[in-house]
Amino acid sequence: MIRKAMKGNVSLIAGSIMVSITFALLILSFIWTPYDPLAVNADDSFAGISMRHILGADKIGRDILSQIIVGSRVTLFVAALAVTIAMTLGVSAGIIIAIASRKYQSPMIYAVNIALAFPAALLAIILAAIYGASTITAVAAIGLATAAAVAQVTRRTAHGILASDYVLAAHASGASTWRIIRKHVMPNLRASLLIQASAVVSVSVLAESSLSYLGLGTPPPAPSWGRMLAGSQQYLFVNPLLAIWPGIAIVIVVLGFNLVGDGVREVFDPTLRRIDS
Amino acid sequence: MSLLEVNNLTIAFGNKKVVDSISFSLDKGARIGLIGESGSGKSMTSLAIMGLLPDTATVSGSITFEGQELIGLSDRDHSRLRGNRIGMVFQEPLTALNPLMRIGKQIAGPLMIHKGQSLKAGLENALELCIKVGLPDPDRILRAYPHQLSGGQRQRIGLAIALACDPALLIADEPTTALDVTVQQEVLNLINTLVQEERSSLVFVTHDLPVVAAMTENVAVMQLGKIVENASVATLFHAPAHEYSRRLISAARSAEDSFSGKGAHQ
Repeated sequence: MIRKAMKGNVSLIAGSIMVSITFALLILSFIWTPYDPLAVNADDSFAGISMRHILGADKIGRDILSQIIVGSRVTLFVAALAVTIAMTLGVSAGIIIAIASRKYQSPMIYAVNIALAFPAALLAIILAAIYGASTITAVAAIGLATAAAVAQVTRRTAHGILASDYVLAAHASGASTWRIIRKHVMPNLRASLLIQASAVVSVSVLAESSLSYLGLGTPPPAPSWGRMLAGSQQYLFVNPLLAIWPGIAIVIVVLGFNLVGDGVREVFDPTLRRIDS
Repeated sequence: MSLLEVNNLTIAFGNKKVVDSISFSLDKGARIGLIGESGSGKSMTSLAIMGLLPDTATVSGSITFEGQELIGLSDRDHSRLRGNRIGMVFQEPLTALNPLMRIGKQIAGPLMIHKGQSLKAGLENALELCIKVGLPDPDRILRAYPHQLSGGQRQRIGLAIALACDPALLIADEPTTALDVTVQQEVLNLINTLVQEERSSLVFVTHDLPVVAAMTENVAVMQLGKIVENASVATLFHAPAHEYSRRLISAARSAEDSFSGKGAHQ
């Protein structure tokens, strides 16, 4: 089944490799790192690529490779939690609004639009002020903010599905609303949901990086790719490698999940399949 | 007592009446054709019987089916009739099937909903229904997705779904309009045979006069939401009472004449 899905599906193959690399880093972070990622060594300040530090070292001599490996924990935690929050809230809100009667629909759509207009950074500041800045407050802010976008897209797509002939035909067969949601709306939403989920992964990884940079996310010294990137900024011309490594890591995660989302959509949609089952 | 009785049925969207106090009745096993141009209210009438009008529509009058008043019936009670006592075939056979669900499950659907059958039992019955509607290689078709079938095959599936629970009434809403001409005749013959075999009543909605003449014994001609003439097919053809009926017939005749080479050239 997996082999058949992979066949000729370049997005899925490339995406799976990239996502696997990230997960391999996550597992590795619990088993082994070349150095303690927090160990400071003044002698190695701005060390270049060498046998001693494969990817070099930062200003205070911390090993970059070790930080990248351990930083994958924050990134994948952020991605998983943000997707869970955004998809659970967004999809249920979107479907509820789509099936609600006309009278309740427009106030709910307004509510979603207001939530959509509310800046995620402001929400992150509020949450950080109340609960203290941490990865969790950053992710909660990202999740809530993207949930509104997911709700809006879900509502529109679900609305189109509910207006389709096959839903009318299902009604004509005596199907209940609940059965129609389960058997007709959800499967036909699936492709759009996958795209949204992979977009949420990308957005949340990037947003966590910026929030950490602003001091509203993962607090130091715990390594985070976003903060590594932010920290490298002042030395960009002196030591560009410092920015390149976390940058590459972020690109691999974001691109990997996007490609997987794209590839899986192709597997799920029978009309896009090249070989008919 | 008649199976279906429609009395002074009026359907309006805001101030606009799309169906204007129409009445007709249908005995058990009888057939009626609803004919008219698009916008004449014929499809709205069939949706009203099914209880599938959009909630922006206001409906008044009365529709009784098997002695039960359908107007004002709760959606829950109405859904017990839909697909069970009343089956419906739609105009566009591709869009009326869920593109992501295998055909077998779609045919088994009404059986699972109304007869409480398991998926396995439903699929076994779906296989028999496929044979009944004349589909070749039913095993393959049950596993196929809608886009893998031809238009005619899809409409046969639509018919299998509508007839799965042996309904007392079949509503066919322009079931052949979207099909190739050669396939049209096959599907019409199939509907004819099946309705006869099942002893169901038939409401046949169309804008095509020759089609309705082949399918039903009575025709209600609709124009702008009103039934302007309700007569037997023979009466309608030989002595049409209403101006609009005459226009329909002459249009059908001239199409036939030009086809047989008589028309304008002579």
